[in-house]
Amino acid sequence: MSEIMISINNIIKTYRSMGDEVQALKGVSLSIKKGESVSVMGHSGSGKSTLLSIIGALNPPTSGKIEIDGIDLYSLSQEKRADFRREYLGFVFQQFQLIPYLTAHENVMLPLTTTRRSNKEKQEMAKEALVRVGLGNKLNRLPNQLSGGEQERVAIARAIVNEPPLILADEPTGSLDTKTGDEIMALFQKLNEEGLTVLMVTHNPDNVKYLSRTIMMKDGRLLNHDEQLITTMNNTIL
Amino acid sequence: MNLFQIAFNNIKRRKVKMVFLALGLIVGVTTAVAFLSIIESMTVDLGDRIDEFGANIVILPRSEGQEVHYGSTLISNISFDIEKLTLEDIPKIYESSVAEYINIVSPKLVGAVDINNQKSLLVGVETQKEFIQKPWFSLQEPLKEGNSIVDLALMEIPDDGIILGTSAAEALKLKKGDEVSINNRSFKVFGLLKKLGSEEDGLIYANLTAVQQLLDRPGELSMIEVSAYCNACPVEEIAMGLEEAIPHGRGIPLRQAALFREETISQFSTFGYALSGMVLLIAALVVLITMLSSVNERTREIGIFRAIGFRQGHILQIIFLEVGIVSITGGIVGFGLGSLAAKYAGPYLAQLQGDIPLRPELLLPAVLLSTGLAIIASAYPALKAARLNPAEAIRFI
Repeated sequence: MSEIMISINNIIKTYRSMGDEVQALKGVSLSIKKGESVSVMGHSGSGKSTLLSIIGALNPPTSGKIEIDGIDLYSLSQEKRADFRREYLGFVFQQFQLIPYLTAHENVMLPLTTTRRSNKEKQEMAKEALVRVGLGNKLNRLPNQLSGGEQERVAIARAIVNEPPLILADEPTGSLDTKTGDEIMALFQKLNEEGLTVLMVTHNPDNVKYLSRTIMMKDGRLLNHDEQLITTMNNTIL
Repeated sequence: MNLFQIAFNNIKRRKVKMVFLALGLIVGVTTAVAFLSIIESMTVDLGDRIDEFGANIVILPRSEGQEVHYGSTLISNISFDIEKLTLEDIPKIYESSVAEYINIVSPKLVGAVDINNQKSLLVGVETQKEFIQKPWFSLQEPLKEGNSIVDLALMEIPDDGIILGTSAAEALKLKKGDEVSINNRSFKVFGLLKKLGSEEDGLIYANLTAVQQLLDRPGELSMIEVSAYCNACPVEEIAMGLEEAIPHGRGIPLRQAALFREETISQFSTFGYALSGMVLLIAALVVLITMLSSVNERTREIGIFRAIGFRQGHILQIIFLEVGIVSITGGIVGFGLGSLAAKYAGPYLAQLQGDIPLRPELLLPAVLLSTGLAIIASAYPALKAARLNPAEAIRFI
């Protein structure tokens, strides 16, 4: 079995905007091993969120190839990519993105909705995920009855409920105070220690100490083309 | 957690929008159900009225030669008849293959007589049958029992009694109670008919037996008027059935009544269908606009569903489940309101006699109409939702 979780080869992504072409990614190549926790850092517009959406099977690149666990993502049909996201990926979006009319328990159950598990099994799995993130006592709260940190935990529980091998997180601490942000990062660290591969987009330098590797991006490129030059944990280049 | 629960929870969350959507469908279904109920009742009611509305088949002797008018009907010139109709033909009608459709049979003998030196047409009838068959006949000075008027059909007309149409009475200068000699036999004017505005105003009516004796034509008939129950049947087939039973008779169906009924119902139906169609079209637009607005509001939510592994088909199912739940409810409520509207407003709208019955068989079509309409109208918003680019929807880019 391959040790590589994510393999990106010369990804280019071009958008058309008002008749102009904007190149968001300009030939990005990257490799992330299973069990790694990697942060992608850079200023706004550096292309880090575009990179995350491409890795997340949500946004086909203009050219280049990306494989996750040996699967060529964009050779799959749109519906197969949806199945892939459900089985392989756990998303933690910016600003939690919980469904406001569903309880914490129901929000966490969402990724299981379209699976063939029994309702009881789905409920057990969702409850277990909430317990893992420390919210076993708030199953029936609606999102607006939870604090920011608690909502983030629900979002993380939703990302891990179907036990995917890879977690993709986009600015998970962006809406949180420092203390809560640290708690959330510690939670990501714990999940990584439990075996999950974590790829996180952030521009908060305080987060990198919880992750094993940092990738810097600028203007659609990795800061250094040579992967050897990508900063490692606690790199002070920042 | 399943797709139905997601749809149901969303309905609960967007109550106002969903109530608005349901209202659009309810108004549409209510209109359609009310009109269908009223049109159906009109068809039955008008059919019943026309069945009561005089004869719809006239049996004449098979004849050669000229024909003369009786009222609005053609009758044969008796002298050319090959074989005459007689009272013995009446039982044959009730034994015919179309006996089940027969309502009233009114035999007649028509003859020209001298009254006060004037030629007049005397019609011998079985008075009760004749006046039941023609309920619009009434006397200028009706008999009363207490405060209520006695129906002409229930009166015993004496053998020497005659009833005159208004034109005949004016021409002969006769009034109620006058004695008159017809072919040297004495008769008394029993009453004068109210003006009808037809050729029947010029006729004189008397008992059939008395006229047969007077004209010295015992048992003989000039014609037989038949009222058939003919709500949904072709009157021509009944006429043919009667001809089979009386081979020497010729059954002439009177199509005017049926055509009038068909025309009236057809006009009301066209109006009803057009109005229902308009209201349903508006309901479809309400569904379309409401669901488009709902999908636009939920762009990010749909993006999240897609990002965490929902297929396009799952998004379609959620939208259609929502629309389905609301439209089934709308169909049931619309059926109830439409039935009530038909029951209470229908008799005034359509000038119907009696109640419009509840039609439970319309419940399923009402629900199917509501659901079908809503599904078709929400197909575009649902497809739009399913095809949302999840990356754009959750503003990844």
